[in-house]
Amino acid sequence: MMITHVTNSFSDPTLVRYLALGAVLFAIGLVGFMARRNMIMIFLSTEIMFQGVAINLIAFSRYYHNADGQSFVIFLLTVAAAEASLALGLVIMLFRQRQTLNVDAWSDLQG
Amino acid sequence: MERQALGLATWAVFGDVVYIGLKNMDYPLIIATACGAIALYLMMPRGQAWLIKLGALIGVLALAAGLSYLTHWASVAFPAQPAAGPGIFFYAFALIAIASAVGVICHPKPIYSALYFVLMTLAIAGLFLLMMAEFIAVVLIIIYAGAILVTYVFVIMLASPTGAAAEAVDYDRISADPLVAVLVSFLLLGTVLETLFTHSPHGFIASSASGAPAHAVHWGGLAALGKNLYSRYTLPLELAGVLMTISLVGAVMIARKNSPHTQMLGLGDVPTE
Repeated sequence: MMITHVTNSFSDPTLVRYLALGAVLFAIGLVGFMARRNMIMIFLSTEIMFQGVAINLIAFSRYYHNADGQSFVIFLLTVAAAEASLALGLVIMLFRQRQTLNVDAWSDLQG
Repeated sequence: MERQALGLATWAVFGDVVYIGLKNMDYPLIIATACGAIALYLMMPRGQAWLIKLGALIGVLALAAGLSYLTHWASVAFPAQPAAGPGIFFYAFALIAIASAVGVICHPKPIYSALYFVLMTLAIAGLFLLMMAEFIAVVLIIIYAGAILVTYVFVIMLASPTGAAAEAVDYDRISADPLVAVLVSFLLLGTVLETLFTHSPHGFIASSASGAPAHAVHWGGLAALGKNLYSRYTLPLELAGVLMTISLVGAVMIARKNSPHTQMLGLGDVPTE
């Protein structure tokens, strides 16, 4: 009986608010991704975007009473960890090349 | 003549579309989003403190406008239950999450950005607890705040210019293209929020709260999640493990100093000091 009470409390207005919060976090991360010039900060901004998406997934999981959303977040965390390790390895390598974290230092890579 | 008529018809249709779009737009929401955009544009690192303070002020105004819009929207869209919605904890965690996300992208020192990111992760873990995803909340803290952020902090310490080079660094103090970035992302955000708030109650979110399946008593929690992962998503789970292994090997190969691989790529003789 307690569970039905709790599930009723997650209604449409609640879901929409969580989705809006996820969208706001995604937009903030996107601004950081495009505007920062430090390579580490660029990847940190993508992590903000990941978390905005994770909020959406968990909210829908809660709304539809379905564990699929939580499973997707597990996969999302896996991909985020893999991305962070590879990206930071690349950052270390690039920093050894030019002694700077500025992405503009690598603008000569364009084809 | 025909081309003129065609052009006129095109313009008429276009003007109609624009007119309908402007007439049906949700102006309070657009204004709140625009305030947020201006605030973020002012707060991007530019090396001037008063601009950041002004941006923070406008940001607080934007958040207040968004909050008042939310209450207004709930009373219009759900007249039967205008008070239905998340409690005070949602607003507290959401406020902390948004404020610290802004702190992450606006702070000129990367190490402080990483600490703000930890704060944001904790707030989002609180939101997950509110949504009864307690395992995901714990995992988020362990993996993000514990593992990924420690990696970031180590890289920030390892790959920072020292001495005279650190004095000349301006790529953290001055951001690249704040105007373009803010315009693009807040256009996206405005579109998403407009769609969400004007169409959602009777639109694409089809099932209402009563539409939850009846057998969904044990839908969440660790047991249901594990059963779901190991029955329905077995192959993706194995593939995730493979992905972790590959990225582990890749990260070791990339970050190694003077390995045969880096020499093969012509990156071998790197000045280390």
